[in-house]
Amino acid sequence: MKLAPLRPAGPPALPPVVGFAVRRLGRGLLTLWFAATVTFLLLRLLPGDPALAVANPNMTQEMRQNVLRQYGLDQPLITQYGKYLWQLLHGNLGISFTQQVPVSDVLLDRLPWTLLLTGSSLLVTVAVGIPLGVLAATHPRGWLDRLVQVGGVVGQSLFVPSVGIFLLFVLGLQLHWLPIGGAYSPGVYGAEWYADVAAHLVLPCLSLTLVQLGSYVLTLRSTLIESLGEDYCVLARSKGLPNRKVVWKHALRNALLPTTTLVGLQLGFLVGGAVLTETVFAYPGIGRGIYEAVTQLDYPVLQGAFVVLAAAVVIANVLTDLAYGLLDPRVRTA
Amino acid sequence: MRRLLAAGAIAAVLAVGACSPSKPAAEGDGGASDATLTIATTTDVVNFNPLVGNSRTDYWITNLMYPHLLTIDANGNKKPYLATEFGYSDPMTGYWNLRDDMKWSDGKPVTADDVTFTINAIMRDKPAGTVLGQLSNVDRAVAVSPTRVELKLKRPDATVVGEVGFWMNVVPKHVFEPAGNVATFANNSNWVSAGPYRLTDVAKGQSYTLERVTPYPFAPDNTPTVAKIVYRVYPDVNTEILALKNGDVDLIANTLPPAQVKNLQSTSGIKVQEVPGLGYAHMTYNMTRKPLDNLKVRQALAHAVDYNAIRSVVLQGQAVSTGSSPIPPVLKDFVDPSSQEYAFDINLSKQLLQESGVGTLRPLTLIYSLQDAVTAQWVSIVKEGAAKAGITINLQGMDRNTYLAKTAEGDYDIYAGNFAIMDDPATNMALTYLPKGAINYSLVDDPQLTDLVTRATQTTEREAQKQLVQQAAKLVRDNVYDNVMYLQNLYVAHSDKWTGFVVKPSELLSVVDPESLANARRTG
Repeated sequence: MKLAPLRPAGPPALPPVVGFAVRRLGRGLLTLWFAATVTFLLLRLLPGDPALAVANPNMTQEMRQNVLRQYGLDQPLITQYGKYLWQLLHGNLGISFTQQVPVSDVLLDRLPWTLLLTGSSLLVTVAVGIPLGVLAATHPRGWLDRLVQVGGVVGQSLFVPSVGIFLLFVLGLQLHWLPIGGAYSPGVYGAEWYADVAAHLVLPCLSLTLVQLGSYVLTLRSTLIESLGEDYCVLARSKGLPNRKVVWKHALRNALLPTTTLVGLQLGFLVGGAVLTETVFAYPGIGRGIYEAVTQLDYPVLQGAFVVLAAAVVIANVLTDLAYGLLDPRVRTA
Repeated sequence: MRRLLAAGAIAAVLAVGACSPSKPAAEGDGGASDATLTIATTTDVVNFNPLVGNSRTDYWITNLMYPHLLTIDANGNKKPYLATEFGYSDPMTGYWNLRDDMKWSDGKPVTADDVTFTINAIMRDKPAGTVLGQLSNVDRAVAVSPTRVELKLKRPDATVVGEVGFWMNVVPKHVFEPAGNVATFANNSNWVSAGPYRLTDVAKGQSYTLERVTPYPFAPDNTPTVAKIVYRVYPDVNTEILALKNGDVDLIANTLPPAQVKNLQSTSGIKVQEVPGLGYAHMTYNMTRKPLDNLKVRQALAHAVDYNAIRSVVLQGQAVSTGSSPIPPVLKDFVDPSSQEYAFDINLSKQLLQESGVGTLRPLTLIYSLQDAVTAQWVSIVKEGAAKAGITINLQGMDRNTYLAKTAEGDYDIYAGNFAIMDDPATNMALTYLPKGAINYSLVDDPQLTDLVTRATQTTEREAQKQLVQQAAKLVRDNVYDNVMYLQNLYVAHSDKWTGFVVKPSELLSVVDPESLANARRTG
């Protein structure tokens, strides 16, 4: 007879990684609640009211009150807040004041385009930024390093609309290489549609990449130079390890920690901050949707959008933390 | 991390793939041309329900589907559209007689039932559109026959037939009635249109495709000339102009900023079309605040403005004087040619200030919207002129919502802004100068003016109404109840490969009115 192995008394201990993930998720949920509450209150502190922003300015006081009643804004603040949280807990983001359709529909129309734009821009930034940062760090004070430093600083100081109009003028109007504005052309279907989407993506993606690449490359460069001077790299070299391995396998892994944080932070910024890019390139993303909702004081759309953005930032940060844990075992047990 | 990012990008591509449009089934049509007219606009559609929608693009697109009873001609006079005749059978009853040859795109005729349903539903559900305020004197609408609608009034109102006829879109009863409350109906699919076009495809934030509807009685052979209209959204006007130059769009619907007009006029392949304005830019002085309740102070302020400089520098010559009258020159039946603009005369201004007896003036606050780029420029000229006369004006530019809130509360000394469309002087003067008028920004309460305006809104005699309106306008001008600065000429641009557009006053109608688009055609 085979005996079952003995189990320790009490609940089983969670593996460190699971405990780490649970703690981060808990903090994320708390952050979401906080973001939802602050957004709810801030919107109601804004001057004006949705009736003034949405309806005809010629309306009388009675008509204005009627619009506020339709929107449920005549109820006490605590009642509005309670209803909002109750809806949120049920996954209901409410109905848009102006469009009179569910906020989730409004956001789902826009979110994929923003994810495509910011996701591809982030991919290009990482794909181009890592080799550039490594090249600059491994050739300090060389011509490439100087070029990267100057380019990085210039890139950080670029203004998206100016870059956008310049790219549209040269590559769109003058050279006719790429389309001007939109996410795809009307009347294009099937496989051709995907090629059309890709063509429309190039300029906004390039514009967004140009302005964020600098900070990424410069951060990676400086942390990598620091890592390469650490004892473990000196030891690795003295053991006869090829320089390529020292850089890419040992030094870069440590240097990636701060840049990973930067990517996490940029992701949150990119989703909400793409509004200028989306405006110049007539790209139908969520940033533009938020801008339009602000001008119309469409509270439900703004509340929904900020909860989604907060969730994006929380998820990005949780993923960053998890990636940190994978890159640095000390973080998992901290 | 890289794997994670790649997975994210793939997920995004898949999500975007879900946005991929499916090809619409081919529809046969025996129309005049297969051409597509692509129109650029800077604003997205907010709402497809014409009883609620309030953005320009909402108006332009829903106008192509839901007919008005009346339209206006180049001189701003109301003329028949769905209605063939209109007027009053007695002071308490208005009427419209309707044409009998318009049909909804599902084959049902457009009848008086549709009109009465629309009016009565607006009064019942109170949607936040323009028309509700115009129906305050209406008891109910009655379909006397399939082609006659009568409007039963609670009190005499000589403006309601013209105003509701011009502003209200008639919606199909058989579509809107089953939806319940018209104030909350999104109307965002399966559109039914009376022509000339019907919305068939929507790419939110990007483009709106409309296909022609026949029969449409205001097009040659009852068939709109162009098969498809596509509205494309370019929030940035510079991108929009690049798209026109590149041939991606054929027409820009929104009016051009003054600085772009000359540039496009000299661009080959592009034609710039002038559109008469129906609104004006103005300043009002808050008469409930001292010292602006003093006529001499208001006159001093009015004579310290260099109106010519504003029109020639800020508007680059693309504006005309109204003679400081609130009646725009395009309304030829009402305009008073003897009205003289306040002269820019600093010495006169100083003298009036001295005569006012108010002593040293406190600094005055002028509010304006930062979203209004033209006003944001000319307020500086106003400030400079006032400073020369010894009056300090503090400029307060603010976002539109704050500006609207301050305006609603009367929290300003001077208000600077625009009156968008004055299509009926009596109605608009009632809104602007009656004590409880919704846009009485000077907060004026002058019994003589109230009497003139009230009588103008009640008389159905055109000549009598003209006299009353002109007297009221003179009173406004002489007492500086409103300082009307200029009327801006509007310009739209289109490819010279297109012709046949019909120009109507105001940005709302301009060359994108249904009759215009149903008659536009490609030249080459």
